[in-house]
Amino acid sequence: MKTYEIQNHAPIRLPNASRSFSPKPLFLERMKKLLGKDFYEYMEILKKPVANSIRCNTLKISPEELLKRLKSKHWSINQPFKDYKEIMIVKGKIANIEKLNDFAIKNSFRELVDEDEIIDLEPGELGRSIEHLLGYYYVQEIASMLPILALKPGPGEIVLDIAAAPGSKTTQIAAAMKNTGTIIANDVSLKRLKILASNMERCGATNTIITKKDGIALCKRLKENGFLFDKILLDAPCSGEGTLRSSPITYQMWNPNTIRYLSKLQKGLLASALEILKPKGEIVYSTCTHAPEENEEVVDFVLKEFPDVKIEAIKLPIKCRPGITEWQNKNYDKKVEKSCRIYPQDNDTEGFFIAKLRRIK
Amino acid sequence: MRFIKILNQQEKKEIERGLQQQFGVDFVPGLIVKRGEERLFLFSGSFSEKDIEHLERCTFIERIGIYFAKIIGNDIRLSIEGSQILKDQIKKNIFFLDSKQAEEWMMGRELLIKTGKHGFLIMKYGEDFLGTGKASEEKIGNFIPKNRRLKERGQ
Repeated sequence: MKTYEIQNHAPIRLPNASRSFSPKPLFLERMKKLLGKDFYEYMEILKKPVANSIRCNTLKISPEELLKRLKSKHWSINQPFKDYKEIMIVKGKIANIEKLNDFAIKNSFRELVDEDEIIDLEPGELGRSIEHLLGYYYVQEIASMLPILALKPGPGEIVLDIAAAPGSKTTQIAAAMKNTGTIIANDVSLKRLKILASNMERCGATNTIITKKDGIALCKRLKENGFLFDKILLDAPCSGEGTLRSSPITYQMWNPNTIRYLSKLQKGLLASALEILKPKGEIVYSTCTHAPEENEEVVDFVLKEFPDVKIEAIKLPIKCRPGITEWQNKNYDKKVEKSCRIYPQDNDTEGFFIAKLRRIK
Repeated sequence: MRFIKILNQQEKKEIERGLQQQFGVDFVPGLIVKRGEERLFLFSGSFSEKDIEHLERCTFIERIGIYFAKIIGNDIRLSIEGSQILKDQIKKNIFFLDSKQAEEWMMGRELLIKTGKHGFLIMKYGEDFLGTGKASEEKIGNFIPKNRRLKERGQ
């Protein structure tokens, strides 16, 4: 088996990337400890760019209709999950369309097209298409869609999205709710709120109120004023270890002090959010990082602080690994195993962590 | 002072009357929120005006719903989303674009077409509703915002 030298790891450079970044030795050491024998596979997939994935905005168009339109542009599309037809992977576009078998083209049997006839989309092509400009789809990495599949927001519910910008998950919530009920989409940064507002508009999410406040302060004020929610999404600010494939600069920004700082912030945010959950209400806590301090440790903290909160099992259409119960000489509640670790090498996605909690009374 | 105003029933009816005259639209599905003197937002959520006022005591509200129309003098101009949301009700003053015109339109260009009409027209290509243009003697003026425009290759 191939082994990695932790001290002298070669810089990682993705195809088409202008710069390469070297993972820090401590990061590699931690990931090796987390992954054991799968560490090599993990390091290999980090060298590959992530697939182009989109989510059909069902507020504006059906997956069938969108698929038809995108295929007519000669895009090669795959719908990886039979129960979630809105999730699509754009494999590329068909080159030399005029030379291809007429039968395959006329009958839209794109699967008859050889893989080597498919070329990559041009940089930015996904975001420049008329279908994107009209809000028919949202460019969103598959792992980032999963927290909402776990949350399962439904029509008529009252939902809070505490750290909502740039809005990929908020627009996904609005679609699941069919623009009914109410979403309060909050973010602390005005700059990010503008992007959020623009995405909400493009996607036609009319059931949303956008607010600007620090998450902990917002929860406190909502509690004082008697607001309670059926569902809450806390997609927490995190160290972003799961996004290395699309954002290799994270290698450079990574540092253990940030993880410690974020862990404290995340505990405060999750504890505050639990205070405004209705009895039997549900909250999904997610991050795009692998650091246990930002994941299981946060969940463990609230399980100890809130006896009336239980962790729920999550069923997702991809491979999930259970949460870990031991890290850096700390033991976590055994129940955190119900949370879901999503690693890039397991599903060819980005990395994520998802936990679902329910208030029992 | 609140910089957003939720229109009451009578004020909403007035907007609907305008939309009826211009485009044959009978009903706007949700609360209409006015921001400034001109911009109209549509909120389809379950929060009532009282809930929203209550929420304002907790936090600064940046937006309620989405921008869907603008009042221009005595007329109303629908945004892309406004035209999409009301598409099933729009019965008149529709301009049907061909594919070349639709591309030009989405690039944000005015169309040099004599429609024989004056005033706002809903732009439609195939099944797509592409917002509103303003027809004058010689052309249709374009209001597609910059961030929603098709870019030419190389841009």
